[in-house]
Amino acid sequence: MRSSFRARLARILAASALALAAGAPAAVQTTAADPLILRAGTDQDLQVLNPFSSILVVDFEVFTLNYDLLLNFGADLEPVAGFADDWDASADGLTWTFHIREGMKWSDGTPATSADALYTFQLILDATERSNASEEGFYLGAGYLEGYHTNAGVIAASAPDPQTLVVETEFASQLLLQAYVPILPKHIWSEYSLDEIGSAEGAEPFLNEPPVVGTGPYVAVEWKPGEFIRFARNPEYWGERGAADEVILLTFESADTMVQALKTGGVDYVRGIQPEQFEALQSEPDIAVVEGISNGYSEIAFNTYSRGAIPGGGASTTALQDPAFRDALAWAVDQERLVEVTLGGHGAPGDTNVPPYHTRWHVTPDRPRTFDLEEAKRRLDAAGYPLDGEGRRLDNEGKPIVLRVTWPDSEAEHAIDAQLIQEWWSSIGVGVDAYVTEEGKLLEDLLPPEGGGLANFDIELWGWVGDPDPTSLLNVLRSEEIGSFSDSFWENDRYDELFLLQRAEADEATRLGYIAEMQNLFYDEAPYIILYYDAELHAYRTDKFDGWSLQPSEGGTPLFGYGSIGYTKLTDANAEPTPGPTATTGPSAEPTPAPSGDGGTGGTDQSTLVVAVVVLVGIGAVAIFLLRRRSGSTEEE
Amino acid sequence: MGGSFVLHRIGVATATIVAIVMLNFVLFRLMPGSPERVILHGTPRVTPELLEATRERWGLNDPLFPDQFVKYVSATVQGDLGYSFVARGQTVTAVLGQRIWPTILLFGLGEIVAIAVGLALGAYSGWRRGGVIDYIGNGVSLLLYATPYFLLGMVLLLLFGVALRWFPTFGMTTAGASYDGPLDALADLGLHLALPLATVALGLIGQYAIVMRSSIVETLSEDYITTARAMGLRDGRILRAHAVPNALLPTVSLVAINLGYVVAGAITVEVVFNWPGLGTLTVEALQARDYPVLQGVFLLLSISVVLANLLADLVYGLLDPRVRT
Repeated sequence: MRSSFRARLARILAASALALAAGAPAAVQTTAADPLILRAGTDQDLQVLNPFSSILVVDFEVFTLNYDLLLNFGADLEPVAGFADDWDASADGLTWTFHIREGMKWSDGTPATSADALYTFQLILDATERSNASEEGFYLGAGYLEGYHTNAGVIAASAPDPQTLVVETEFASQLLLQAYVPILPKHIWSEYSLDEIGSAEGAEPFLNEPPVVGTGPYVAVEWKPGEFIRFARNPEYWGERGAADEVILLTFESADTMVQALKTGGVDYVRGIQPEQFEALQSEPDIAVVEGISNGYSEIAFNTYSRGAIPGGGASTTALQDPAFRDALAWAVDQERLVEVTLGGHGAPGDTNVPPYHTRWHVTPDRPRTFDLEEAKRRLDAAGYPLDGEGRRLDNEGKPIVLRVTWPDSEAEHAIDAQLIQEWWSSIGVGVDAYVTEEGKLLEDLLPPEGGGLANFDIELWGWVGDPDPTSLLNVLRSEEIGSFSDSFWENDRYDELFLLQRAEADEATRLGYIAEMQNLFYDEAPYIILYYDAELHAYRTDKFDGWSLQPSEGGTPLFGYGSIGYTKLTDANAEPTPGPTATTGPSAEPTPAPSGDGGTGGTDQSTLVVAVVVLVGIGAVAIFLLRRRSGSTEEE
Repeated sequence: MGGSFVLHRIGVATATIVAIVMLNFVLFRLMPGSPERVILHGTPRVTPELLEATRERWGLNDPLFPDQFVKYVSATVQGDLGYSFVARGQTVTAVLGQRIWPTILLFGLGEIVAIAVGLALGAYSGWRRGGVIDYIGNGVSLLLYATPYFLLGMVLLLLFGVALRWFPTFGMTTAGASYDGPLDALADLGLHLALPLATVALGLIGQYAIVMRSSIVETLSEDYITTARAMGLRDGRILRAHAVPNALLPTVSLVAINLGYVVAGAITVEVVFNWPGLGTLTVEALQARDYPVLQGVFLLLSISVVLANLLADLVYGLLDPRVRT
């Protein structure tokens, strides 16, 4: 019995090896009409096609490929034509009229009109209304997109004719022109309820699976969660056409594997590489590296909670509520060194809460600090934090100050920051107890009583990432955000007032004045010490595509910026110089057949042979072993 | 009695699985961060009211025992492991279901190749102890055994993927490829499979060869081998008919237990080659704090170890009647 089973198994194995070997030579035949595919690798997961579930940078990249925003972002983040091709504000700035492009179609051929834009605006208005009406709030998916309309003061929208969208706002503001909200096809989305679109508990969530219908330059046609999303050219796209017939975004769990894939041409672009990989890629042929400045920062956040003691929680000393104490500590942080050590030199020392990425809004502080331990000591003495006999600083209650410094385990590099800060601060008499906290736990520890927590920390190291407009970064430090976004619990009436003023200001120069004052208030009072502005390290191949353009044009990156502009500027690096544009007759939006000879497997015939041989040998070995065992045992029987 | 032996083993395995299911329940509640926080991860504005409503909706205000426990056990038994946080709206079982087949393919084939080559190499080395094959084979085996998967994988990747460009370096298929036929698709899969498969197989071969070798060496000093020699049997015959079957016993349990560690071993190999299996899923889930998925992976991993052990026991019983007492 046993041996006959083995013999059968052996025969099956041998047969399948033969089949594989027979099939192998026919394996990779590339046809002349190969579509030109752009493959971009990222370290982030590709788990979201419903724009409202977006959280990660790559999620936003996905929906701006699929859809137009009402107005898209230009090369320098300025508002440019998107779903609307013209726009105008009323004299009082409270009514916006958008002209929707004539003859525009969705990728399935349905006309795209103001009804679609109205549907999208109404969806967010409905969600906001429902959120305000219920005690527990309501969020569309991750809840990140509603704010772009609420911060712009949107209160009503109407569509008097198919080419016109009228939006009423509560206050005059330019923010609507920067709203990061995709315009969705009403004929598809209106079949789903608010609960389904918002992935509400108990509802069957609308995942927006491919084929996605959009007006963007590319539309998703295939999605393997955790692997890749494949986009085909939208045949109906109204704008400039990039050379790529298809765009594939791929997820990599290991940055090393991703960088190797770039070297072999398996991918054409990578985002999220390490400083040492960045250095190594600089000498590779046909590869260009780009160091963009990040629209965000890493900070030291102080627990300044001043609304009374929190039983069982709160900061370990009231000194953290004192701006003079925080200012003194900031003199004892060598930001240049942190950039050098933690970021490998890729980044810039930080100052205000609006990163230099916002060239129009960032200001350098009026009263800048430098790294000066003696000055820090002088300021601590002056502010009333004397040294005791053992060289320890005492707070107002006469207690030695030992600050608990923590950071999330997801941001391992802060361990280096913490170690250096510990050295500097202990030399001025301030003790540091540094420890890492699991991210989920830290999110909880950071909540004040207003958010149902105990604010049980002194100092945390973390970071924020912003939008094309600085509003969201400015918002984090408002006192109204205590209980949700605020993690320093800083309260400053003037700052709060300025926030509302700048939000409602249409004149750019006046608005800059408000924002500059906010940055100085922030810098002087130091609820955060901005440690550094990280760099965005990207790399791409130059032998397949040309026309890589940066967004913003100074200090930006070609892809993974804001919107799909980078994809539309690409040209074919190997195209014959012909007068016409390369790809006016793109393939249809249906999943296009895409045999790919450009997958980086040079010498495929040879490798096919090798794999066939390897598998054949392996399987053959099993077969022979088992067959011989069989003959052995029959001999015995 | 064969029947009671089998029943006993199955009983032990079942009891272990029940214990694991219970441990899973406790672990989820010991995790840092309260469950409602974890559930609301990603929701920016969390009010006390929302927290309370969430606690109510998820039954977190019910007593841990029996209410919550009974609900959890009955859901798990029905295969309901909850929803993934990250793959929004997808059930954990659906997510696991998509990712388990690439892992089974990779490690199933890896085991087959490793068993065939490793056992043959080990048996021959042991038989010809001190010979050239033994000398080289043993050295190579030790080296392979001692090399971590990710290192071995990276070396193969750099050599055959990047330097020689023989094989693709990542993924299971060429993203965006379309095929002329099933054989075309199979060839693409085969190319992508080659390097990760070689990594898994080489790693296991070292281990199997070493165990098989020492087992053979031990067997050779047994009386029945001397008897067989005295009977004038040919060397090859003694090896195949007498030495190998007896020496297989410790190897069988090693192989069976290894089967259970497929998921654990998968993590590093899969991450190096971006293979879309349970290993990369585990890393994704860890990074994104997708606790329900991690819980599911943990359950699956534990159960597969238990089942593999059960299999080892049963096969052992078949091979060696002395065990069946």
